[in-house]
Amino acid sequence: MRAIRAIAANTFREAIRDRILYLFVGFALALVVSTKLFGMLTVGDEAKIVKDIGLASIQFFSMLIAVMMSMLLVSREVDSRTVFIILAKPVRRWQFLVGKYLGLVAIVAANLVFITLVLAVMVLAYTGQWDPMLFFAAAMTLLEMLVLAAFAILFAVLTRPILGSLMTLAVFVVGHTSAELWLLTRQLPGTLTRGLVAVVYYLIPNLERFNFRTEVVHGLPIPPAAVGWAVVYAIAFAAVALVLAALRFRSKDLR
Amino acid sequence: MSDIQLSVQGLCKTFHPGLFEADVEALKGLSFEVGRGEIFGFLGPNGAGKTTTIKAICEIIRPDAGTISVCGHPHTAPEAKRRLGFMSESPYVYRHLSGREYLRFCGELLGLPRTGMEERIAVVLDEVGMASRADRGLGTYSKGMQQRIGLAQALLGDPELLILDEPMSGLDPLGRRDVRDIILARAAAGATVFFSSHIIPDVEALCDRVAIVVDGTLRAIGAVNELLARDPVSYELTFTGADVGGLATPLEASHERSDATWVRVATPLRDALLAELGGRGALLLSLNPVRISLEDLLVEHSEEPTS
Repeated sequence: MRAIRAIAANTFREAIRDRILYLFVGFALALVVSTKLFGMLTVGDEAKIVKDIGLASIQFFSMLIAVMMSMLLVSREVDSRTVFIILAKPVRRWQFLVGKYLGLVAIVAANLVFITLVLAVMVLAYTGQWDPMLFFAAAMTLLEMLVLAAFAILFAVLTRPILGSLMTLAVFVVGHTSAELWLLTRQLPGTLTRGLVAVVYYLIPNLERFNFRTEVVHGLPIPPAAVGWAVVYAIAFAAVALVLAALRFRSKDLR
Repeated sequence: MSDIQLSVQGLCKTFHPGLFEADVEALKGLSFEVGRGEIFGFLGPNGAGKTTTIKAICEIIRPDAGTISVCGHPHTAPEAKRRLGFMSESPYVYRHLSGREYLRFCGELLGLPRTGMEERIAVVLDEVGMASRADRGLGTYSKGMQQRIGLAQALLGDPELLILDEPMSGLDPLGRRDVRDIILARAAAGATVFFSSHIIPDVEALCDRVAIVVDGTLRAIGAVNELLARDPVSYELTFTGADVGGLATPLEASHERSDATWVRVATPLRDALLAELGGRGALLLSLNPVRISLEDLLVEHSEEPTS
């Protein structure tokens, strides 16, 4: 457990000393701050538009941070061979991967908290009301990132960084559309397309399960069961992806 | 050999680079043992399988066949890893950490007790001569300094078995001397040191035993003196009273000095040359055997075709 904690802390430290992270955070902050502009240009409740676009920006940049930093930090460790020194010490390969994963989750969580805090302060400035539900939406985004970071680690172990990034981005896109595709194809008679969509639907996590943005923005009730299932769903998918990554990494020769 | 600290038996490893590239058979049933307290040199030309063997011992690659035990434990067991200190061929370090932070990280991985860890780090930093530069970022270190920090992390857990892959490469003469002193001090303290090197004088000066590996197979193993204790390969003679030009015996080399003539002759031709010099009335001043060096032995094995 100490080794996992040390690897996670080192991963976190490496990320926060990397300029790339600040580039992402800077863009995310710029977009969140500029939501006021979108609010002014759009017809409707300005505060709701600020919240909606702000939360969408947070989700998008959290995804970019999760995917890019996962690829960067795992492949850098293997390519620069710093992993040799770790594996020659009493550290199991799965512990290395779990340590990297937890470090990445900590980075994503820290950024989520920071950017959401900026959004909440902006909403407070516009409406005079503190909206704690923004943090609930951010927590759900963190669940989504738990899944995406695990897939990013799996692809980092399976393939090269660029391809791995593209594959994780594909999981993000498909994960947000597979449920709709599934509903659409269920209306069709039994075809090959329907079978293929079914395979995708069950293999790729349905990331819309973590999307509570509409409920938060419009103040709609949130069913506790949906939240509970989202937690279980995230943990299950992240665990499966990490186990597959660990199984592949266990037999991988590092050169 | 009693009290084996490192045992490698029947190690085989083939790499499969890709669909359209031929497999590379890096290790072909390599076996050897290293006893407690030994300084063991691992020699071979580039591509012989030295680093592959070291990577297999440190569980960086998985052998296809064979067994490895470290300090009496299977090499994959945490008990083995705790007793092992490893330094890789190139100093692979984190550029975002300072030397001290890097050693703290390694201490955590080793599971060293937190109380006393800072003191232990200070001791190894001092041992490798990096105490004054420990708080600088590793990214600002020269290669030699990174090599020293790499050695410091290998020493941190006070290992029973120290495995060093080319520890002298990239070091200036002062650094090489320091590393040699550290190796000798560790061995004197009871540790076993296993290292690969291209720098033959260091191997000759330090090692109790050496192994020569070529093309993934063990070609020779033993004490340096035993391996080199063969008949002389040639003789060097100095004499006066005869010209080199007039000698019928083929010579390997010759040089006319102002006071005498120096020649080198292959061992089988020594007696013929002595007889010829005697017949010409030359005065023999010296006759010295030339024995094979470790470098010669390495070259000889490297050029030998694989059986």
